[in-house]
Amino acid sequence: MSLVSGPGRAQVAGGNLPNELQLAVEKHVKYIQSLDTRKDELEYWLTEHLRLNGVYWGLTALHLLGHPDALPRHETVEFVLSCQHDNGGFGPAPGHDPHMLYTVSAVQILVTVDALDELEKRGKTGREGVGRYIAQLQDRDDGSFAGDEWGETDTRFLFGALNALSLMRLLSYIDVTKAVAYVQACANFDGGYGVSPGAESHAGQIFVCVGALAIADRLDLVDKDRLGSWLSERQLNNGGLNGRPEKLEDVCYSWWVMSSLAMIGKLGWIDKDKLSKFILQCQDPELGGMADRPGDAVDVFHTVFGIAGLSLIGYPGLKPVDPIYCMPLEVVNRAVGR
Amino acid sequence: MSSHGVPRASGPKPTAQGREKELQRIQEYRSLVATVNREIHQRYYTKELLGMTTRLLELNPEYYTIWNYRRLLLRSFFEGAIPSTSNNKNDSTEHGTVQQYITDDLAFLLPLLRKFPKCYWIWNYRLWLLAEAARLLPSPVVYQLWQKELGLVGKMLTLDSRNFHGWGYRRQVVSALEELSVAMGSASASMTEHEFVYTTKMIESNLSNFSAWHRRSKLIPRLLSERNASHAERREFLEKELELVQRALWADPDSKDQSLWFYHQYLISNFKPSCSPQADAIIPDLPDADKLAYLQAQIEDLLEMLDGAETCKWIYQRLLELSLMSKSLNDQWPVASSDLEIWINKLLELDPLRKGRWEDLRKQIFPW
Repeated sequence: MSLVSGPGRAQVAGGNLPNELQLAVEKHVKYIQSLDTRKDELEYWLTEHLRLNGVYWGLTALHLLGHPDALPRHETVEFVLSCQHDNGGFGPAPGHDPHMLYTVSAVQILVTVDALDELEKRGKTGREGVGRYIAQLQDRDDGSFAGDEWGETDTRFLFGALNALSLMRLLSYIDVTKAVAYVQACANFDGGYGVSPGAESHAGQIFVCVGALAIADRLDLVDKDRLGSWLSERQLNNGGLNGRPEKLEDVCYSWWVMSSLAMIGKLGWIDKDKLSKFILQCQDPELGGMADRPGDAVDVFHTVFGIAGLSLIGYPGLKPVDPIYCMPLEVVNRAVGR
Repeated sequence: MSSHGVPRASGPKPTAQGREKELQRIQEYRSLVATVNREIHQRYYTKELLGMTTRLLELNPEYYTIWNYRRLLLRSFFEGAIPSTSNNKNDSTEHGTVQQYITDDLAFLLPLLRKFPKCYWIWNYRLWLLAEAARLLPSPVVYQLWQKELGLVGKMLTLDSRNFHGWGYRRQVVSALEELSVAMGSASASMTEHEFVYTTKMIESNLSNFSAWHRRSKLIPRLLSERNASHAERREFLEKELELVQRALWADPDSKDQSLWFYHQYLISNFKPSCSPQADAIIPDLPDADKLAYLQAQIEDLLEMLDGAETCKWIYQRLLELSLMSKSLNDQWPVASSDLEIWINKLLELDPLRKGRWEDLRKQIFPW
């Protein structure tokens, strides 16, 4: 899966917009299918360190668009398994070091295509080995998680651990209570959360912290009115959402802000119609794909978060998305046994 | 990675010559990647290989596996310079070599950080280098290295005052300097006062810098506890901060700037029945009667500010918030219920994007 940007470009705001914008479903499917054919561009090789994330982004978008078979299942599973290391962890592509970020993507992909049994049969380790790799990255004193053996900690990794382990039903491998306490130590007066204790609230970091609390069934700890207020102030007059006060709007925050609002039951606190229009203006209706904002080059990262955002709003024709996992709702229900 | 803010490269399709050039660049890049991988796996830990990782990382600083390789290379060079039999942190020749490796690498990262200030891996690698310095070099040398980092991060934050990597790095630099001061036996290790002055400076140069206001909110409780501030001193401190933010709000009450309003929210959190997070409280033991008096004063101030700024939704929002806080303390509204209704209607009119939120607020205030 290529992470190359373009070739398309989102419609330029103020141009000749049709009154009723439609999601260009077929174009987006074709765009995602064509991504792996772009090996004659240097950027394809420069973005190899994101390949497995790219597969997760593309695959999830296709499932939400109602085209779950648009990528060949067998090749997808083979590629995922080729990224695994002996210690159970996954890198983004063969030859890259294992890291939490790609291990989570690997688990999410395997669960989405219902292939955890293939990991069991043909992986370097089975799911328990993957679970152990994730569990040993927890700091048993403060509950935080490192991304890999070199030790950088970030609430993104903590969420990744809870996300992947719960999908494999292995949450008992870690100290969930301490992980919850660490998230609480990252809380700020505005109801939001940062990357580590003391850090400023940031919509992406709020998504991971609230998501971790949701998986741990501790949403009671969130100051929902305060957080909901802060999140709702992310919506700007053009309908788009930003990630922090006084920043520009960006399609990926459609997901991070909105899924957090959904998790705390405050999705009605922003204008969904205006947001939906903004997201649709970020697509290239001819070549497919979505960009961060109108006028910019498209990429698969903004494509999945734009489509997932539309799904959460209830845009017609899209499969429902799970706000915690950013995966098809029915897939998550099956995996975690809801 | 994802193309944030990248305009589409428009223009004529690439010529045959252009495509040829692109393929050549791909081949050179992939061949460099293959060589580095091969030599690492064969453990050819040489200066030449270090040079190749430099070239690769300059082309692609997001390629984190190469940063990991560089760590392996440097570890092996350090071991070469300091034999494992030597346990002496004070041998100057051995240190000289290790210190040189570390300062050379810190210098290599500078132009990369300037070019890619949001690349996590570069910041992480820099922190790893400094942690290696702490592991291998005498404390005064390490202290000097960290002090240079404080200067560096100050410059980075002047260039982009909202970069959260920069603010995060600054917190790490400060805590490292404080720990080293303690280890070196200094009596006054804390830098809280220094950092508080820094946030004042950043705010004075740009009132909209929410990152600086946020940092200030985290420093204040520590500052007061380190000053052993009495109850009266804490009150005086809070009043001064309220004055600071109110003066700025009065200067432009119709401003769309959220930073000041959020900082104001932080300050008035002290008047809630219990401040959350508790660790952020400025006056931890404020009696309810005093909270009510402060709330009343805030409401009066905002009502005055409203005169001439009738289209500022933040004033109505805050008036309702203050009223609710007051009600939660003594079960009485501090204003007439007709006022509450007028303010909610104003919000619905001025801020239709958040209509659902204002409707919920109406239901909360008028549940019947």
